[in-house]
Amino acid sequence: MAPESTPLPLIEARALRKLYGPHLALEDVNLAIPHGATGLLGPNGAGKSTLFKCILGLIKATSGDGHVLGHDMRTEGHLIRSKIGYMPEYDSLDPGLNAIDQVRYSGELLGMNSSAATQRAHEVLEYVGLKDQRYRKIETFSTGMKQATKLACALIHDPEILICDEPTNGLDQRARNFMLQTLRRTVTDGGRSVIMSSHVMDDVQEVCDRIVMIHKGKIVVEGKIDELVSQVESEIEISVWGGASEMESQLVSMGMPVRRLGRNMRVSKSSEETYSKIMEAASLCGVQVRKMSDYEPDLEDIFLLIMDRLGEEVKGTDDLMTDEHRGLPV
Amino acid sequence: MSDELDITGGITRMESAFGSGDGDQDAQATVAQKAEIKGAIFEQSYRPWRGTLGPRWVRNYSIYRHHVYGLFTSKGHRHYPIMVRLTILGIFLFSLSPVAMLFLASMGGNGDFGEVLSRLWGINRYNLWGQVLGFFPRNMCMWPLLTALVVGGMISDDRSNGTSAIYFSRPVNRIDYTAMKFLSSAVVLGFVIVFSYILYYTGAIVFRGEGWAFLIDTFPMFLGGLLAGLLLVLTYTSIGLALSSISQSRFFAGVAFLATIYGTKMVAFLIESQFDSSILYIFSPYDVLAHIGQWLLGIESNYDHSLAFSVVSLLLMNGISIALLASRVSSLEVTRE
Repeated sequence: MAPESTPLPLIEARALRKLYGPHLALEDVNLAIPHGATGLLGPNGAGKSTLFKCILGLIKATSGDGHVLGHDMRTEGHLIRSKIGYMPEYDSLDPGLNAIDQVRYSGELLGMNSSAATQRAHEVLEYVGLKDQRYRKIETFSTGMKQATKLACALIHDPEILICDEPTNGLDQRARNFMLQTLRRTVTDGGRSVIMSSHVMDDVQEVCDRIVMIHKGKIVVEGKIDELVSQVESEIEISVWGGASEMESQLVSMGMPVRRLGRNMRVSKSSEETYSKIMEAASLCGVQVRKMSDYEPDLEDIFLLIMDRLGEEVKGTDDLMTDEHRGLPV
Repeated sequence: MSDELDITGGITRMESAFGSGDGDQDAQATVAQKAEIKGAIFEQSYRPWRGTLGPRWVRNYSIYRHHVYGLFTSKGHRHYPIMVRLTILGIFLFSLSPVAMLFLASMGGNGDFGEVLSRLWGINRYNLWGQVLGFFPRNMCMWPLLTALVVGGMISDDRSNGTSAIYFSRPVNRIDYTAMKFLSSAVVLGFVIVFSYILYYTGAIVFRGEGWAFLIDTFPMFLGGLLAGLLLVLTYTSIGLALSSISQSRFFAGVAFLATIYGTKMVAFLIESQFDSSILYIFSPYDVLAHIGQWLLGIESNYDHSLAFSVVSLLLMNGISIALLASRVSSLEVTRE
């Protein structure tokens, strides 16, 4: 049987290194991002923004090389940026403009002529759910509508790659769901590729099928989410009533590693006997086990596991989020 | 009831009353919406775009157009508040006041009235210099205010709104961005300052019916004034844009520009009145331009110091402003501001 041909990666970097003075922002980054949706994860200051800037050809790497859609990152930034749609994390809209004019102008800045940009602006604003609000001034928009306008600006020229920096920042549940659905649809229906960074693992898991995790300028994990999840060891989740601390001590003394959050605990599942061992521990401590089930690990677990192995004190991705990420006034 | 009784095909009383048994079972209700899309507000579908992107000049022209057209119509272009637009219109109309006086003079014929108006507002070296570089009212009340209003928010707005990301995440490089912002500002200032100067000169020719001899006499002076006007536009734009690039507030940039023009002039004036030395005027952008303008138009200088100081000072002012502008524009962020 002939070997399955692997499509060329859209983004490829080899030994990419970026120094800002003495500060090492990217350290020997080797990367190959194929077509599809990829999540870029990492704590604040990990180097995500620097990597985005390198991909967009805005800064030159100190050493190493890379290609985006076949163009050299170091010398063909302008060609790369005409094929990429970038949705910035922070406000990047002129509050005095209508949504339609803002999106049209962003198309003109790419080189679209005015009439084509206007026509396309109508299409993309409809796509992002702002058809009825397109003649409203941006200063009257909610955060969700502003995020949608930024997405429309990024999509106006039908880019091959859409880079979204924290696309769900400050969105309520409904707007967040719509944003994620739109990004997913851009991949499935539009056939485009999406690279999104986010601190919210659920968001990444909902849109992306691959992740790249970056930490202190290094790529620590890269791969398909499904494959990574299958590598995480199984756990049993239990909920106990009365004497949770005693139960925890008992389980540890019986050689079973435990992660505890209040009355809920997760016990490493070494074999099928773990169930009976848990019941035995409960019996010895005199506590009730009110719930016991296999725990399905998700992206959050992968992230925490990796952070733990890297020696980072992160209890949850919530630790990485600022008030701005949560949509609270700052 | 016997077993033989056949009741198939019979009509019940209910069916007889409401007619729901005779063919009605096949009827279909006409409804406004299909049941399966109930609740959907719109159907989201991604539509590809098959066009081609224009070259560099198309992108640059769009920046220029966005900023200049906004002055005439805010619809779709950069928003200039209505009071700003009215003030600019007022300044433009006021700068054309000599044209109106020349028109009045031409209406007055050869009488005393017409003669007086012609002497006061007619074309001569002093009036040409004054049209661009006279301190009162133009350089005290009009040109600095015009510059502050036009240039103040040109870059500071991008910094405060984060719109620099819209430019630099696209194939617009920082040189093009700066050059187009500079050109847009200079064109608006030039439209008011230089265009009014040209109208003044041509108006004088038209209203007084001047001939070739007048043209030959005055054209070199006109060119000198034109060059002085262009220098003024370039210098005010450089300083204004540099101040705009270092702040996040159009108000700060505007006030800082006015303070630079008036402050340096005021300090130099106080020093001159106390110590009888005009050398500090080389720090005043207005006076440097006025000094060079006097030389260009061939009129007696008001300043004791050498013209070379003013020329060097003008070059330094523009050089420093453009260096500051370039440095600050290079710091405009895409991923974070």
